[in-house]
Amino acid sequence: MSGTVNELPRVAFFDFTSCEGCQLTVLDALQTHPELLKVVNIVEFREASSARSEDYQIAFIEGSCTRPGDEERLRKIRETAVYVIALGACAHLGGINAIRNRQPLLDVRQYVYGDKAEWYDTYPARAIDQVIQVDAVIPGCPIDRDEFVRVVTVLLQGRQPKLPDYPMCIECKLHENICVYERGQVCLGPITRAGCNAICPAYGYGCEGCRGLVSAPNMESFQEVLAQHGLSQAEIDEKLSLFLTNQTLLEKELVHG
Amino acid sequence: MPVPARITAVRTLTELEKLYTIELPYGLTLDHDPGQFVQVSLFGVGEAPISICSSPSRSNGLFELCVRNVGDLTSKMHALNVGDTLGIRGPFGRGFPMERFRGKDVVFIAGGLGLAPLRSVIYEAIDHREKYNRLVILYGARSPQEMLFRDEVNAFNWMDDVEMFSTVDRGDEKWRGHVGFVNSLLNQVHLNPHNTVAIVCGPPVMYQFIIDDLIRLGVAEHDIWLSFERHMKCGVGKCGHCQINHIYACLDGPSLSYTEIKNLEEAL
Amino acid sequence: MSNLKTIPKTALNEWVQRLRRRFRVVGPRPKNGQFVFAEIETAVEMALDYPTTCMPPKKYLFPPQETLLRYHLDGSHIQAVIETEPTVIFGIHTCDVQATRLFDQIFSQGFADQHYRARREDIYLISIECMAPCTEHAYCHDMGTSHLPEAADLHLTDVGQMYVVHVNTPKGESLLADTLAEPFTADWQPIYDRVIAKKMEAFEKRLDFEVTELKELLRDGYSSPLWQDVGDDCLVCGMCTQVCPTCVCFNMEDEADLTQTEGQRTRTWDSCQATTFALVAGGHNFREARMARQRHRFMRKGKYMHDAYGLLGCVGCGRCGSTCLVNITPIKVLNALYQEQHAEQIESDVPEMELSYEDVTARSAGVAVDLHAGACENNGRTHPH
Ligand SMILES: Cc1cc2nc3c(=O)[nH]c(=O)nc-3n(C[C@H](O)[C@H](O)[C@H](O)COP(=O)(O)OP(=O)(O)OC[C@H]3O[C@@H](n4cnc5c(N)ncnc54)[C@H](O)[C@@H]3O)c2cc1C
Ligand code: SF4
Ligand code: SF4
Ligand code: SF4
Ligand code: SF4
Ligand code: SF4
Ligand code: FES
Repeated sequence: MSGTVNELPRVAFFDFTSCEGCQLTVLDALQTHPELLKVVNIVEFREASSARSEDYQIAFIEGSCTRPGDEERLRKIRETAVYVIALGACAHLGGINAIRNRQPLLDVRQYVYGDKAEWYDTYPARAIDQVIQVDAVIPGCPIDRDEFVRVVTVLLQGRQPKLPDYPMCIECKLHENICVYERGQVCLGPITRAGCNAICPAYGYGCEGCRGLVSAPNMESFQEVLAQHGLSQAEIDEKLSLFLTNQTLLEKELVHG
Repeated sequence: MPVPARITAVRTLTELEKLYTIELPYGLTLDHDPGQFVQVSLFGVGEAPISICSSPSRSNGLFELCVRNVGDLTSKMHALNVGDTLGIRGPFGRGFPMERFRGKDVVFIAGGLGLAPLRSVIYEAIDHREKYNRLVILYGARSPQEMLFRDEVNAFNWMDDVEMFSTVDRGDEKWRGHVGFVNSLLNQVHLNPHNTVAIVCGPPVMYQFIIDDLIRLGVAEHDIWLSFERHMKCGVGKCGHCQINHIYACLDGPSLSYTEIKNLEEAL
Repeated sequence: MSNLKTIPKTALNEWVQRLRRRFRVVGPRPKNGQFVFAEIETAVEMALDYPTTCMPPKKYLFPPQETLLRYHLDGSHIQAVIETEPTVIFGIHTCDVQATRLFDQIFSQGFADQHYRARREDIYLISIECMAPCTEHAYCHDMGTSHLPEAADLHLTDVGQMYVVHVNTPKGESLLADTLAEPFTADWQPIYDRVIAKKMEAFEKRLDFEVTELKELLRDGYSSPLWQDVGDDCLVCGMCTQVCPTCVCFNMEDEADLTQTEGQRTRTWDSCQATTFALVAGGHNFREARMARQRHRFMRKGKYMHDAYGLLGCVGCGRCGSTCLVNITPIKVLNALYQEQHAEQIESDVPEMELSYEDVTARSAGVAVDLHAGACENNGRTHPH
């Protein structure tokens, strides 16, 4: 499969509103899996080089879409790339940036930009697939290095990458972590897509859901669990809005028509 | 463990289906019963259960698989060519009990891709024609373009001792045949219910209709045979994926009689 | 009949050290306020009076992820991967031993599984007598698994200064051969009997019915409205199947390396509670409703496993009940099902017989479905698999 650099699939990385933590994970993957550079030709990667290219087949997009100008850029990428992959929670879910979707926009602007708020044209943070069609997602905040390598491998095979579709608790039990509920805290593990090796519960913190919802979670019963563990409705909404705003808002729209 | 097998021929049947002829290594033969399946491995991709589509009576040491391109593995399989290697485990599962069909009127009822597994049974019956009374084939496809094995279906039409009826859900300007679901053909064949066995294979939605119709016509429950498709991983009764209540579709099936499954809520 | 020995507690560490020369020794160790099976270097690291472990020692017999095959992507060099390591599981509870019996049956019956069997050959079980139910959710006593001194290779009973040792198999004999065991003299019998009698007092009946009635209970309760309630509550988080010593469902996946030259097939644990478990291409899901998935879990534990393998699929360890965040526990569900079916006659129903696991199995051996006769014929064939 490896050949001269020019024959390799051309890969580009783009960042939008994000902390660039996911691209750092990609850099890390390049260290641990140097063979990556034998199988793809990275033509644009701001974190690693200043090269710019208009010609690529695979585009990884980090960050969420937060202003009208982003849309234009995204559409351009979509037109050029054969494959578009959302990289990390910001791109996948709107990420941390989507918290503000729960609050009136002007409040957020005022909080972030003070009295210059009116000058900025930001609007509710959107996941990339709310703007352009996305072919695959690598979830997480930040992404999991091994999952990134797996997705690249599968793409090189010409296959559609598939994410684990079971809840975090399954992985968490494998690691025999003590369930954070037993310590009187709450955790979004039961509704969150597995794949990060339940890293937060392993360190004693509840999962915040950065990998997004698993398919068909039982939201109603889960909200009751949170309530039984002492969370008010406002606290539950807050809990579900760190990463899951867009997904749970959509869910609500689905449920309530 | 899968053995590496070689593709010796590929035939495009429709836009979605291709027919593969496969040769096992080391002079192995599959030695299957009609209605059994194999687990096909694409190395580095995965494994999928596929019915053996050729009859043991025509094996020559080779066998055939008819594969519909629906997803990950099957689309990669469609990219394979003559000479390529894939892995084979099997044959697995319980085929149809041909001995029980002796002297009977055998009615094959196939919907869509369901013709692929039944093709193996049909040729087995044709090649031992003297063992059976009437052989009736009812085949329904969604449209004329989606009909499988058109040349063979044509050949069945010309055989004196095989009654072939086909239908499409939706015809086109060239289609002169019957239009309607496959169960609508049942009225045309004047079954003798007391001496009929029906062998049914098609999409899940089809089964309840066909069973109701056959029972209404008076065919005995134990003479209605069905082939079941389920999510399968191991193919050998361990992984649990294929269970229909307590039954393992990969071990006890995929061929099961209506008597065996009629009380199982998860069957139909 | 097993052969009895004793071993002084003071010799325990010496014994462990001698075992460690030949084996990886794993035992129950505390971790973050719970217990897990993990490798031990000295006997003091073990808490042999542990209540229960988060995950059962099943992980050594049937690892959560194992490589089955390695190959080149062109279909050459296909090689089965058999990974085993001589291992002593020290201090396994008898309920978990019963679960290994079920696994032995599953992976030996019909198409035998070479990966499991090779690993199993290399695993030695030293069980320990429980003195009290490990949690409020355990119902091993009802399931006949709380006292099985002859099931593991060796079985230890704590009688104070000493352990009484049941030596049950040649494998067990080999573990004890060069150690510090002493004979079990007649003096020990009354002491042992007293300990067991005291133990039995600590275990109460927790199911409202006999385990012999379980299969019929589930059969008759298949259409109960109870399952809908269970499905409404269930988070489908899969914890219950993950911690269960008898859950055997697995997934198989193939993967290639980055350079597309070699690949492997792995087997990983799966859960019938996962949305994708019964999903097929085209989107049809044969067990989509949560209620259907939970019902399947209970049917499988209490009936289907027995239908197929002659052993129940639940050993009463209670782990699933302890771990569930919405309190779906077998005791609660099964008793509710029973109450629903026997609403009127409860008062007069006095259980009297104590049945051992063996009795249950022997009794229902004849119940196995006819279908399996056909399946077995198939198994006798030679297949290129
Ligand atoms: C007994 C039997 C006989 C079959 N015979 C044929 C045949 O003759 N021709 C044909 O084209 N197809 C047949 N199928 C269906 C075929 O197995 C599936 O279409 C195939 O597994 C889909 O795999 P995929 O990777 O292309 O699809 P994807 O949708 O990408 O598969 C995703 C995953 O779901 C699993 N999966 C999805 N559908 C099925 C399924 N039906 N059975 C088992 N696992 C599934 C696969 O293991 C895979 O891991 C048969 C299925 C069974 C059970
Ligand atoms: S997903 Fe997390 S790590 Fe990745 S860019 Fe966004 S905030 Fe940073
Ligand atoms: S800590 Fe969270 S992820 Fe782990 S088992 Fe508990 S709820 Fe599930
Ligand atoms: S445990 Fe939850 S919040 Fe933590 S990394 Fe995993 S998905 Fe993200
Ligand atoms: S642990 Fe409880 S909530 Fe989770 S899947 Fe099992 S029964 Fe449902
Ligand atoms: S079903 Fe529950 S009680 Fe029974 S063996 Fe499994 S975990 Fe233990
Ligand atoms: S396919 Fe694994 S049990 Fe049937």
